[in-house]
Amino acid sequence: MTTDTYHSPESVSGLQKLGIAAVVVGLVLTGVGYSMTGLDRFYQAYLVAWTFWLGVALGSMALLMVQHLSGGAWGVVLRRPLEAAASTLPVMAVLFIPIYLGMHDLYHWSHEGAAEADAIIAAKAPYLNTPFFLGRTVFYFAAWILISQTLLKWSKQQDETGDPGLADKMAYLSGGGLVVYTLTVTFAVTDWLMSVNPHWFSTMWGPLFMAGQGLAAFALGISVLVMLSKTAPMSHVLTSHHFHDLGKFLFAFLMLWTYLMFSQYLIVYSANLQEEAPHYIDRNNGGYEYVTYALMALHFAVPYALLLSRDVKRGIGSLRVIAVWLLVMRVVDYYWQVAPEFHKTLSASVIDVALPIALGGVFLTLYAMRLKSHPLLPLNDAGLEKALTHHVH
Amino acid sequence: MYGVMAEFDSVQALVDASKQAVTAGYTVMEAYSPIPIEELNDIIHKKRTTLSRFVLMGGLSGMAAGFTLQYWASVIEYPMNIGGRPYATWPAFVIPSYELTILFSALTAAIGMFALNGLPQPYHPVFNVERFSMASSDKFFLVIETTDPRFDHGATTRFLSDQGAKGVYDVAA
Amino acid sequence: MANNVHGHGSSSASLNAPVLAPGHDFETITEAVAQIPLAKRTPIGWVLGFMGAFGLFMMLQAALGKLVMTGVGIWGNNVPVGWAFDIINFVWWIGIGHAGTLISAILLLFKQQWRMSISRFAEAMTIFAVACAAIFPLFHTGRPWLAAYWLFPYPNTMGLWPQFRSPLIWDVFAVTTYATVSIVFWYVGMVPDMATMRDRAVSMTKKRVYGVLSLGWRGSARHWHRYEVASLILAGLSTPLVLSVHTVVSFDFAVSVLPGWHATIFPPYFVAGAIYAGFAMVLTLAIPLRVAYKLEDFITMRHIDNMAKVMLATGMMVAYGYAMEAFYGWYSSNPYEQFMIWNRMTGPYAWSYWMLIAINAGMIQFLWFQKVRANLKLLFVMSLFVSVGMWLERFVILVTTLHRDFVPGSWGMYYPTQWDFMTFVGTIGLFLTLFFLFMRFVPMISMFEVRTLLPQAKVKSEHGHGN
Repeated sequence: MTTDTYHSPESVSGLQKLGIAAVVVGLVLTGVGYSMTGLDRFYQAYLVAWTFWLGVALGSMALLMVQHLSGGAWGVVLRRPLEAAASTLPVMAVLFIPIYLGMHDLYHWSHEGAAEADAIIAAKAPYLNTPFFLGRTVFYFAAWILISQTLLKWSKQQDETGDPGLADKMAYLSGGGLVVYTLTVTFAVTDWLMSVNPHWFSTMWGPLFMAGQGLAAFALGISVLVMLSKTAPMSHVLTSHHFHDLGKFLFAFLMLWTYLMFSQYLIVYSANLQEEAPHYIDRNNGGYEYVTYALMALHFAVPYALLLSRDVKRGIGSLRVIAVWLLVMRVVDYYWQVAPEFHKTLSASVIDVALPIALGGVFLTLYAMRLKSHPLLPLNDAGLEKALTHHVH
Repeated sequence: MYGVMAEFDSVQALVDASKQAVTAGYTVMEAYSPIPIEELNDIIHKKRTTLSRFVLMGGLSGMAAGFTLQYWASVIEYPMNIGGRPYATWPAFVIPSYELTILFSALTAAIGMFALNGLPQPYHPVFNVERFSMASSDKFFLVIETTDPRFDHGATTRFLSDQGAKGVYDVAA
Repeated sequence: MANNVHGHGSSSASLNAPVLAPGHDFETITEAVAQIPLAKRTPIGWVLGFMGAFGLFMMLQAALGKLVMTGVGIWGNNVPVGWAFDIINFVWWIGIGHAGTLISAILLLFKQQWRMSISRFAEAMTIFAVACAAIFPLFHTGRPWLAAYWLFPYPNTMGLWPQFRSPLIWDVFAVTTYATVSIVFWYVGMVPDMATMRDRAVSMTKKRVYGVLSLGWRGSARHWHRYEVASLILAGLSTPLVLSVHTVVSFDFAVSVLPGWHATIFPPYFVAGAIYAGFAMVLTLAIPLRVAYKLEDFITMRHIDNMAKVMLATGMMVAYGYAMEAFYGWYSSNPYEQFMIWNRMTGPYAWSYWMLIAINAGMIQFLWFQKVRANLKLLFVMSLFVSVGMWLERFVILVTTLHRDFVPGSWGMYYPTQWDFMTFVGTIGLFLTLFFLFMRFVPMISMFEVRTLLPQAKVKSEHGHGN
């Protein structure tokens, strides 16, 4: 067993500084944007930014549970970055407060008298009402924080004591945890994102966002691992084989997201029902068609074509460019899902960029702090030795 | 005569012998084994196959064929209004084009692999050696061919024996 | 990925079981597998099993003969349920096929070594299942000899073209591609083993037949290199293909406007269901097979455990699909959607819905327990139940949606006839017949791949680790 403690290098402190700088820049830009467009755009942009960064944390938590169940070299090297992302969940819960404050702007169904004026909202009232909505939110976060914090606690114990029973405990929790994750995320995205248009519904909605969360989590994890691979101690650990595996997963999640997006579109397009078609009519008119084309080309086609190549997946630099690029495109996707519900013609504002930067700053600061305070590899993981000699395949 | 064949007991012995043969300056040779050994191709042939390029071309032509077929049939040859959709219903056309992309790529991959390998091939001199029937279960063979500029029957036979071969046989053409 | 032969640190016994039992070398692996098709004597158990299967196959021929002579009227489908056993069985068989491709393709991409010893017969299962599936749409046309005229795009005498916006023509493209690529992948995977059979066969006839099938394979370094590249490419292509096939099958329903069929979640939900049913069928076949042919060293408890876990995971996804259908059925606030869900749960076919929930959402929860996954008899019975459950799922989707239409005046019930049952059971006979022939004449386990699992198959690295 190795005696190295895998302390984080300077670059992690750099990441933290970047996070703090992003908070400052983001807040200044938010102020600028707010003075220009007011509250109206603020909440919409905040919903995009918050669900995106929360999605990164949740996707990381889900992948963390997957790796506890499956093992494998990719999981061992990625575990600490995933844990760092999952550790942000309590703060993400606090950041729900602006959504609560903006409920009137965001959720038409929460208006006094909305149900009387609209039969569909009336029919959904047992589900879409303010107390139940807030109660569910509390429940989601309670579940996520409980699962993630327990996993983090056991992981720390595993580092300290090396108790082999902990791996099994984490695996058991992860099995049940993934079931909880799937159900809660489905209802959470229904509440926060689908219900901005209370008439729209799609059974694909949950899987669509879970695929996006997984994609974003891998993209962030790869970006950070590339950064860590530049200096000791991780430069001795990470090889092109690790990145090749991770690149394959990134590719798989990209395909999954595209597959779900296209399937939903084709089903709605073919059936052409009045309750569903407006969702796409809104997104193919008023300038949003350009966002649609951009997603098709830049979220799917270009990264897909690049990731097909074995050399790109093994090339550490190229993989990082694609990973960061995909994170940006994930934000655009959330924007595409949310914005057309509020403004029928495309009109981007400073605040649409400012809030993802500001919240990203908060996320990255916490992320780097967590990464700094723990060894960069799970020291007593049974798969560690294997992951360190990950070269045969 | 086709060449001289040496028989080995293990993967490692075959790989070592191949390396030695390359170091000794032999160029026209081939190793035979019952399992794929990634390293051997790098040692002896040094070149990776161009198969994936063919497959890419096959796939692209499948995609083009699919779209062209559907566009021609539904827009040019027999346009029909289906629920007010445009004649060129691209979301629907994606599916058959996608399937044809995969069909053409897969057939290119399989046929291309066999063609590049020169299979099916009813006759090959190595099968003249009786022991070679073990090449498909647990023995490993290295053949240095007579066309090799450095080939010399006596010297090559001796060289192969020195590599720890369990047997060295002449391969009739 | 976890490609370790000896399991990674967990205390459960099956997890630590190797994917290949210890004490083997190149020759013992070859002998254990090759002797089965090369044996002079046909085992009596095989003869009896084959006769039973062939009897059922004869019944299929009788049922189809009657259909061709009389017409599709002998089946029970009629207004309002115009689509019933034919499509239920089609989807059921196609779904079962999916595990074979998944095992051979996706697990190959992720270098999961446990796939090696089960891939060959799982792929065989795929091809035979697709053959069974194809019978239903073909004979549903009533005149299968005219099928090409209706299905394939060629300039026919009427100047007509298929409707490319219809999911049924997508099906034609998807299923023919799937059948073709599966056969190609299977055959390519078999060529090196055919060479082994050629070299080991004693009888001249066998030597010739296997020799022709081996195409003159001689295992040269150049051959192997191109072969490995081609296998990876084929795996890379089969993965999106297998996902697309059941997706297209799900479009048969989802792009319609019928409540219960039109649901955006159908594609991933159908794919998960297919993998679930497919792994159940692999278990149904593998558990008796490994005992009958003494292949426990190759199909170990590790394989069984992994397959049971895949079954659990995909079964959970299917259960998630049921939950989403029910929730969004209500959430849609569409009275027809709401009625459809209510009718499923409480209507005349409620028994089928609750049986399916009991199996696909209830029974599989036992697979969380390692003890259950290690109990072969129990697992075998459970895998049979999963096949029943997945058949019921398609039954529920088809019949509950169609039998109560938008207009109550056109409501009705569906009753399958004896011909429906004879055709369905007959395809099981066809499947088993093909599978028995496969067991007798083809090496059931990929010998060359299992050989690579041995430590002596590895070459010492000169550079140390880390590249």
